[in-house]
Amino acid sequence: MSSHQTVPVAEQNKLRNKMYKKHNVANIITHWFNVFSWLMLLPTGIAIIASPRLGITPVWMQEWFRNMFGGTANLITFHYTVGLVWMFILLFNVLVGFRKYFVPFALHRMLLDKDDIQWMMVKPLQMLGLKKDRPLPAQDAYNAGQKIYSYFVVLGTLGIMVSGPVMVLKNLFPPIVKQIAQPVHFLSVFMIVAWLFIHIYMGAIFPEEKEAFYSMFTGKVSAWYAKMHHTKWYWEKVQEEMDWEDEVNEKIKAESHTKSEGAAAD
Amino acid sequence: MANDTKKRFGFVIDISRCIDCRACMVACSVENTVPYNHTRIWVHDQGVKGEWPNLSRAFVPYNCMHCENPPCTEVCVSGATYKNKDNGLVLVDQDACIGCGFCVEACPYEARYIDEARGVVDKCTGCFQRVEIGQMPACVATCLGGSRLFGDFNDPESTVAKALKEAGSVIRLDAKRADGKSTEPNIYYVNAPVEMINLITTDKFGQMEGKVPETSEYTVSEELWKKLLIPGLGLATAAAFGVQAVFFTKQLVQGEKEIEE
Amino acid sequence: MTKSISRRDFLKLGGMAAGAVALGSFIPPQVAKAARDAGLIDPNGDGYIPTMCEMCVWRCGVLAKVRDGKVVKLEGNPEHPNSRGKLCARGQSGLMNTYDPDRVLHPLIRVGKRGEGKFRQASWEEALGLVAKNMLDIKQKYGPEAMLFSSTHNISQPVFENILYGFGSPNYGTQRSLCFNAMIVANLMTYGMEEPARDYGNIKYLILTGRNLTEAISTSETSALMDIISQGAKVVYIDPRFTKTASKADEWLPIRPGTDSAFHLAMINVIVNEGLYNKSFVDAFTTGFDQLSAAITQYTPAWAEKITGIQAGTITRIAHEFAAAGSSALAHNGWRTSNFLNSFQTQRAITVLNAIMGNWGSTLHPAAGEGAGGLGSIPQPAYPRITAPRLDGVPWKYPFVPLKLGIFQEMRDGALKGDPYQPHGWLISRQNPVMDLPDRQKTLDLFGKLDFIATIDIIMNDTSWFSDVVLPEASYLERYDPLNPVGDKAFLRQPVIEPQGEAKSALWIFKELGTRLGIGDFFQYADEKDYINQQLKPLGTTVDGIAMHGYAKFPAGEDKSEFTWNTPSGRIEIHSATLEKGGFSPLPEWQAPPQPKEDEFYLLTGKVGQHTQFGTQNNKLLHKYEDAPRMWMHPDSAGKRGIKDWDMVEVTSEVGKINVPVRVTASIRPDCVYMTPGYGHLSKGLRTAYGVGASESELHVTYTDPISGGQALSQTFVTVRKV
Repeated sequence: MSSHQTVPVAEQNKLRNKMYKKHNVANIITHWFNVFSWLMLLPTGIAIIASPRLGITPVWMQEWFRNMFGGTANLITFHYTVGLVWMFILLFNVLVGFRKYFVPFALHRMLLDKDDIQWMMVKPLQMLGLKKDRPLPAQDAYNAGQKIYSYFVVLGTLGIMVSGPVMVLKNLFPPIVKQIAQPVHFLSVFMIVAWLFIHIYMGAIFPEEKEAFYSMFTGKVSAWYAKMHHTKWYWEKVQEEMDWEDEVNEKIKAESHTKSEGAAAD
Repeated sequence: MANDTKKRFGFVIDISRCIDCRACMVACSVENTVPYNHTRIWVHDQGVKGEWPNLSRAFVPYNCMHCENPPCTEVCVSGATYKNKDNGLVLVDQDACIGCGFCVEACPYEARYIDEARGVVDKCTGCFQRVEIGQMPACVATCLGGSRLFGDFNDPESTVAKALKEAGSVIRLDAKRADGKSTEPNIYYVNAPVEMINLITTDKFGQMEGKVPETSEYTVSEELWKKLLIPGLGLATAAAFGVQAVFFTKQLVQGEKEIEE
Repeated sequence: MTKSISRRDFLKLGGMAAGAVALGSFIPPQVAKAARDAGLIDPNGDGYIPTMCEMCVWRCGVLAKVRDGKVVKLEGNPEHPNSRGKLCARGQSGLMNTYDPDRVLHPLIRVGKRGEGKFRQASWEEALGLVAKNMLDIKQKYGPEAMLFSSTHNISQPVFENILYGFGSPNYGTQRSLCFNAMIVANLMTYGMEEPARDYGNIKYLILTGRNLTEAISTSETSALMDIISQGAKVVYIDPRFTKTASKADEWLPIRPGTDSAFHLAMINVIVNEGLYNKSFVDAFTTGFDQLSAAITQYTPAWAEKITGIQAGTITRIAHEFAAAGSSALAHNGWRTSNFLNSFQTQRAITVLNAIMGNWGSTLHPAAGEGAGGLGSIPQPAYPRITAPRLDGVPWKYPFVPLKLGIFQEMRDGALKGDPYQPHGWLISRQNPVMDLPDRQKTLDLFGKLDFIATIDIIMNDTSWFSDVVLPEASYLERYDPLNPVGDKAFLRQPVIEPQGEAKSALWIFKELGTRLGIGDFFQYADEKDYINQQLKPLGTTVDGIAMHGYAKFPAGEDKSEFTWNTPSGRIEIHSATLEKGGFSPLPEWQAPPQPKEDEFYLLTGKVGQHTQFGTQNNKLLHKYEDAPRMWMHPDSAGKRGIKDWDMVEVTSEVGKINVPVRVTASIRPDCVYMTPGYGHLSKGLRTAYGVGASESELHVTYTDPISGGQALSQTFVTVRKV
């Protein structure tokens, strides 16, 4: 966030107008499907928790939901039906082409490196307004915070997907497994929810990240945004373009060479 | 009373009349298709006491106490088990129940069990399918000794209300919940021998000893939940919020300088 | 969670058969078509079908609840005096009795050796044909008396008896002599009736000699006992064991076995000597009081104390209390009175005790006994004359035993000895001699000597297991039976459940068999309904007419203002000239029973509320709630032998030996051990009951009371050692 002060405005505008593709259609659909499912699952899930000893959901919310669905059983049925559909579709999206798409993506984009660790140590302090003078190391397509959150999301999602069906297929598992499934389910959900606020804030509310939000619809971000926030990815893209230019130049050279040879032969 | 239910169904059991014939158990098993390896009701045999030949023996019929302050409904995460507001019976909505068994462990009277075939919790329901058509619960209807009575304690004309008034002695097997409240069970034992007041139970063969009812305790999962997870997650969420709140406020105060280039 | 005794442990210890995993819930069976035809089921498939239980001889009225075309529950019929709306554990388990997976549902013919349990399914034609052929062969070669017949008291028994009497055999063994011959014959001698009725509404002081009513359950009588106890009646309970009834009684007297009569004779002594008896009643309605006065003087409480172990002061006090209750007192005459050879004298003493209290008309009433006064009977020819003597020695050895009771154990012994002739076949209906006759080995030996054994039963019980042909009877919930008169009503048994397999009612089986035996004239009914309709004719109704309520009412009888006892004198016979003529004591007298040696025990028997004798141990619902069968032993006796609770011991009598685990308990005299009968089944076809417990019939020695023919089940002495 500091390097842009050294870039001349004309250059900035050129970069702002150039778009790079960051998310493909599949990613976008999966993301919003997830959002939509969570909008149905999270409130109903919280409303289900009626135990006075656990004391987390206000009574008015429990009653409202139960009245709306016509009873605890219906509320639960709705929750796990949506949950199972969500599970199925999400797993389908991830597992189809798992080796071809997801594994390379995970290895390329999700692993933390030295820059990420350093960034993680500095950025939160900078968000509180401290240590503004320290330089932030360049980040890749996804910054360290995003990477770490993605771990939470993956683990949490797996936790939900294992513990949920255990509670649904109630005559297949012994009681102790179902007893463990409950806190695992809650833990998994809240693990995601706790940092979800940052994700939503950073993605949808924080003005500087407006482009990130739009990219979840268009799939594209500007080169300027990329250079500022995801510098290493920007240079990767630039390198790609240069390689492509080199490739094209080679081809033209080869063609003109043959042409000239051909002309000379005449 | 802890609950203002319209009716307050419960049992009065005359200890002096129970002969441990077990007709009630068989009747319940048939009426409610109870699996062979479980029982909803049973009789505690107090064992043969005293010095020969001055012996005594009492039998204590037992089933779900349909407590005023049930420990079981407290721990059910989804509220699948609940105390019915109209009649006071503690019931299980088996479509909502997942059969995790927290409530089974929470009950100090061991009145619940898990039906393995269906994966849900089951227990005495007060034979409500009979009560609502004007019959007595199966165990009460067939009790040979006339020991079991069932009815609405809120109705002063009911058999149970009257029996309580006329009883020689009344015992209620109160237990402590984990939150310190008393369960206030709705089975009243009348005409019980003095030694029953400290309810030490023996098995049918006079061997082992244990104490029923017991104090219900938090399970490990609940401890984890209450002491670790909720505070922890609450803290994490608060921290996340806090950080963002601070920064956002700072932004507002400092203006959106950095957005404009 | 602290370990405590829960009902889960209760079930675990309660003898679940090994490998009996949770078998899921009971599946309600379809309602019988007959019930639908009778209009008892509404269009929703709901309704109640009145019928009668058969899980024991009390035969409570049952209302079978039908929901959606399935029979889901059995309830007591409030209109039946024996149930009054309740059913005991066995009655409640009746659906499991019918639905037992070990039911025999097709005729079976043996293919392996006897006792291997290898049968092949056959058609009714073939099976009935085979039975009839064998029986007729035996009749032709050896005479009809070479066929033995056995049945247990049940409603279709008179029709079964048509087979044996029409066939021409006198040899009839029923369970009576194993049970209450002593009581019946004593009542006959004293009152001229088998069993007077007891009116609990009038009882303020009750002496129970044995008659463990809370465990030997007779539904209405058990309930009545608990009612009067709650209302303040005083109950004195006499038994060597501290049973559940003892725990409800005001006083328990742990009497030495075999000495009940001494107690009662001492009671009579006090009451007569102190003039506490009902003089006007005695003068007006009894005979022989003077002889009694003279003879009773020797039986003092001090004398009785030495014999019974009950203190003289206690006996005197109880006698005073008993007498003070006057006609509100009752000495219960017991039921299964097959304990000692002197049990007959005990019964006589009890009847005399009641007689001198003058409680007739108050706590004791005349009862008609059995036999249907007012019902029509089915026409039949006279029985052929039977010339052969009975193998059980009635009446030539035992003149006082009624023919229809007979002496079962003597018939078995006579048959085994071949004295006075060798029988060759046995037809057994609803009886299990392998389990209930004493000295089991003898019964099995007898099987080896017979050419042909056929059994009619609903399940592969032990006797069926050893038979050549098994004919499947429909269970009581699947069939019609003749009417059963109780009080002022004749009760109906009608099908509740659609009969399974090829099982048929007894009435059908008897008629089919009788027809093939050439005695079809004794079965002049077209089918079960026709039989009952003939019974109902004098009452002006039909089966269809009474199906809804399940009974027909007898018209009110004429008021018999002058009641006389059916004795030679027309009075209550304290002194029985009949007995005297037979060479027996005309008054109740003391006969010293044998006593066990120093290291021997009395082997006691009794009942539990969850089973009926030998027939219900395979019922899964009852098996679920039974106590694991063990032999009771006092801690002192166990300690002396180094025996701890649950230890396995070997029990030996002069005729047999068994192994059984021990229950160490203070609720039994140190000189006694006790086993619950009905366990140690030999039939592997009883998959729930096989392998559970041990049979005391292997230990019992056969003793027959010369007067009543009753077996003396407690007169067997055993030694016990740890194994």
